[in-house]
Amino acid sequence: MAVSIDHYVGLAAVMFFIGVIGVIVRCNPLVMLMSIELMFNAANLLFIAFARVWLQNAGHIFAFLVITVAAAEAAIGLAIIVTTFGPERYVDVDDVRALRG
Amino acid sequence: MIEFWILAVILVASAVWTIAASKPVYSVVALLLNFAALAVLYVTLSAEFLAVIQIIVYSGAILVLFVFVIALLSSGVAPFAMGPNRLPKIWLPGGVVVLVSLGFLVYAASQAVPASVRPPNGPVGAANVFGSVSDFGAALFTVQLLPFEVTALILMVAVIGVITLGGEAMRDAAPRGHERKVERAMREAILREGTD
Amino acid sequence: MPHHLLGVPGSYPLVEALWLLPLAGAILCWAFGPQLRTLAGWLASALVGASFVLAALSWGAATQTAGAALGASQALGSWLPGFDFGLLLDPLSLIWTFIITGVGFLIVFYSIGYMEGDRAYARFFAYMSFFVFAMLTLVLSDNWVGLLVGWGLVGVASYFLIGFWFQRPSAVAAARKAFVINVVGDAGMMFAIFLIVANVHAIGFGDVFSAAGGLSSTLVFWICAALFIGAVAKSAQIPLHTWLPDAMEGPTPVSALIHAATMVTAGVYLVARSAPLWSHNPQAQVLVGTVGAITALTGAILGTAQWDIKRILAYSTMSQIGYMIMAVGVGAYEGGVALFFTHAFFKAQLFLGAGLVIHALNNEQDVRRMGGLWKKMPFAFWVMLTAVLAITGVPGFSGFFSKDEVIFGDLQFGHPVLFAISALTAGITAYYMFRLLFIAFFGEYRGDVDHAHAPGWTMNVPVAILVAPSVAIGAALLSGGENSPWARFFAAQFGPDMAAIAHRPPAISEGVTSGIVFALVLIGFAIAWWRYASPGAQRDAGERLEGETRGMPAVLVHLFYVDDAIQLLFVRPAQRLGAFFGSIFDPHVIDGAVRDVVFWARWLGTLVRSFQTGLVRAYALILVFGATCFIVYYAFAAGALH
Repeated sequence: MAVSIDHYVGLAAVMFFIGVIGVIVRCNPLVMLMSIELMFNAANLLFIAFARVWLQNAGHIFAFLVITVAAAEAAIGLAIIVTTFGPERYVDVDDVRALRG
Repeated sequence: MIEFWILAVILVASAVWTIAASKPVYSVVALLLNFAALAVLYVTLSAEFLAVIQIIVYSGAILVLFVFVIALLSSGVAPFAMGPNRLPKIWLPGGVVVLVSLGFLVYAASQAVPASVRPPNGPVGAANVFGSVSDFGAALFTVQLLPFEVTALILMVAVIGVITLGGEAMRDAAPRGHERKVERAMREAILREGTD
Repeated sequence: MPHHLLGVPGSYPLVEALWLLPLAGAILCWAFGPQLRTLAGWLASALVGASFVLAALSWGAATQTAGAALGASQALGSWLPGFDFGLLLDPLSLIWTFIITGVGFLIVFYSIGYMEGDRAYARFFAYMSFFVFAMLTLVLSDNWVGLLVGWGLVGVASYFLIGFWFQRPSAVAAARKAFVINVVGDAGMMFAIFLIVANVHAIGFGDVFSAAGGLSSTLVFWICAALFIGAVAKSAQIPLHTWLPDAMEGPTPVSALIHAATMVTAGVYLVARSAPLWSHNPQAQVLVGTVGAITALTGAILGTAQWDIKRILAYSTMSQIGYMIMAVGVGAYEGGVALFFTHAFFKAQLFLGAGLVIHALNNEQDVRRMGGLWKKMPFAFWVMLTAVLAITGVPGFSGFFSKDEVIFGDLQFGHPVLFAISALTAGITAYYMFRLLFIAFFGEYRGDVDHAHAPGWTMNVPVAILVAPSVAIGAALLSGGENSPWARFFAAQFGPDMAAIAHRPPAISEGVTSGIVFALVLIGFAIAWWRYASPGAQRDAGERLEGETRGMPAVLVHLFYVDDAIQLLFVRPAQRLGAFFGSIFDPHVIDGAVRDVVFWARWLGTLVRSFQTGLVRAYALILVFGATCFIVYYAFAAGALH
């Protein structure tokens, strides 16, 4: 059985969903950030797979931009974590409720 | 063919390991494995340049940053604690909706007409330079120049944001009066012990 | 019908310029008042004066172009297809333009001295210029809507100027009263215009007059009646006259210009302008003539019972406008317009003369505290005397010719009862005008101002100029009956309308009616002399005046209870209605609705707020839920599920 685009879509969906579960279930902000990176990569995989299917390097460009933005997002996310959770604190996102309405 | 399945298994397993690890450092290691496997998969998809970028940026920069933060947060205190894993309070309705929706999607996918375009899965770089550095660079600096510049701007904003946040953290972390006294007392105590 | 051709169409930049110059004056005085200081008065009068000169020039140009005295018609623009705006300078509007800009110039010039030292000097001249512009809009408009616009703008200007000294509560109340009563008239006008547009589908005078012959007489009557409501309110006719005496709260030049010479005669202009409508409708004529005659008589009677010099003049104005309305009502258009023309001069002169006195006596307006002023202020005395002789209709003075024409017009067009009323009114007019003159200027001074300060030349010169027309213009223009310059000037405009009114030749000639009227005037003068100026009366003038004040009949003190009736019939019910809405409808329905909205908004807000937990992971779950919904939607939209 040859590998078709459907296989890549399925693989990316599984990776993405694992990332979603990580964000929702884990209370550790670092692991949540990593789960978000997983989701980014799942999306990237799709971009690259479809770029290959249609031989369009726009998908590559987009994946590249996603990587860039992911780097920025990770930097800011980690900075927020460092700012919010001091070294002596117990790390749990549910402790931070400044966004409460 | 076979490499796809091997990589798929590695990818899913490392992803699961990432979210299930008992310590953040393990998560980072699992994620590193995941990214490396992805890079290989990119090579099979003729995206050579992106495979390299994936290794350099993700594994080399972002993951190192994670490790650095973990080290920072655990420094001087007890080894980094993972904290509990809980579902949000609205997990039941949210989960039901998500699962039902996914069920729909799976059903929809099973009913879908197979895509007419099949991946050519030929040899890497065959017959063209698709995915090569020159191909990618030419597109990035000509047709896609504007998105590229905008991304640069976003990175710039991110840099400023991180510096601002860092400044705040420094201010908050700056020792206050009595803390300074305690610090000095501790230093003096250590020095005394040293001389004893 | 040839007379319905109103003005010869063409390009008349002079007409546009004379119309807009006062507006420029208003804007300049308003915008640069602090910089202009006293120059504001000079600027405003210069621009109004220039407007007067342009009016003369443009009339010359128009008659040259047209060849006949039909006037000029300048198109300005179109509102909707078939609803064009334009300016019209025909004999009727020319006369009004001359008075508005000419007498207006003298009065604005007079104000330079009169308003000296007022804190809001420039504002006054801005308002005055704006009024002149508004009044020119009213009389120069060639259609009903433009006329209504001017009608409203003069009301606004009048409101501003009556309440000019807004620090005084009485001035504010008077301004509000004038405005509200005038709005009643505006509503009537608007109703008339609705009727016209609905039935004729045009707003231009020419179009409407051409179509008037095809309308049913009932419809024409209602149009006339609705228009006349506007005239009643604006021209202080019974029963909407009560605002005019109160309007004397404004500065005296305002009373002279707006509430004597020009704005209050807008009703006369309206009826004269609509002559083709009125002259084919005897019922409307009787309505207007009767209201005018009753107003003339009532104003004269009330004028005999006043002590405030400006209020006496205000009731006199009301009475004289009653004459004019009666004249244009019965069909004596030339006479009515002639009375307007001469009245503008001598009534402006009376007000400005009274202004000299008031200014000199530190704002004293009560004639009981005057007396003997002819020795102190001989100039003011001569001014007032000539004006009184003119208004009472002493032969040779301008009022004689115009009033005779008006009173004879009643007989000419077959209204003997109105003739009797107006002749009687002429006698009463003589009585109250000479009463004013005798009390204020004869006998001994009864006030407490030691040094009456003499007005400057800027005040004296305009009054002196006004003396000439109020004495001589009647003899110059109106003498000679059918062949007078006046009659020839208006022959093209009013001839067909006057001919259309069915009438028999009167039994007595104009000379006889003049004699009757003059006899009544003499009787009125004699009574006034006997009561106020005879040596016996002058000896104990103070006690006599006090006695007269005490013995004044209640019905006159209360001004025929018109204000009380309006209060009882309209104001009280309106207040009760307001109280009902204020106490029941507003708090329960309006506020209740608002409160309900607030309640439900708060409820919804509380509901939504419960989702705003501040927990990042909960947000993530909601996000996933939303994203999933999108995906499912697109899966459906793409037709994946069938």
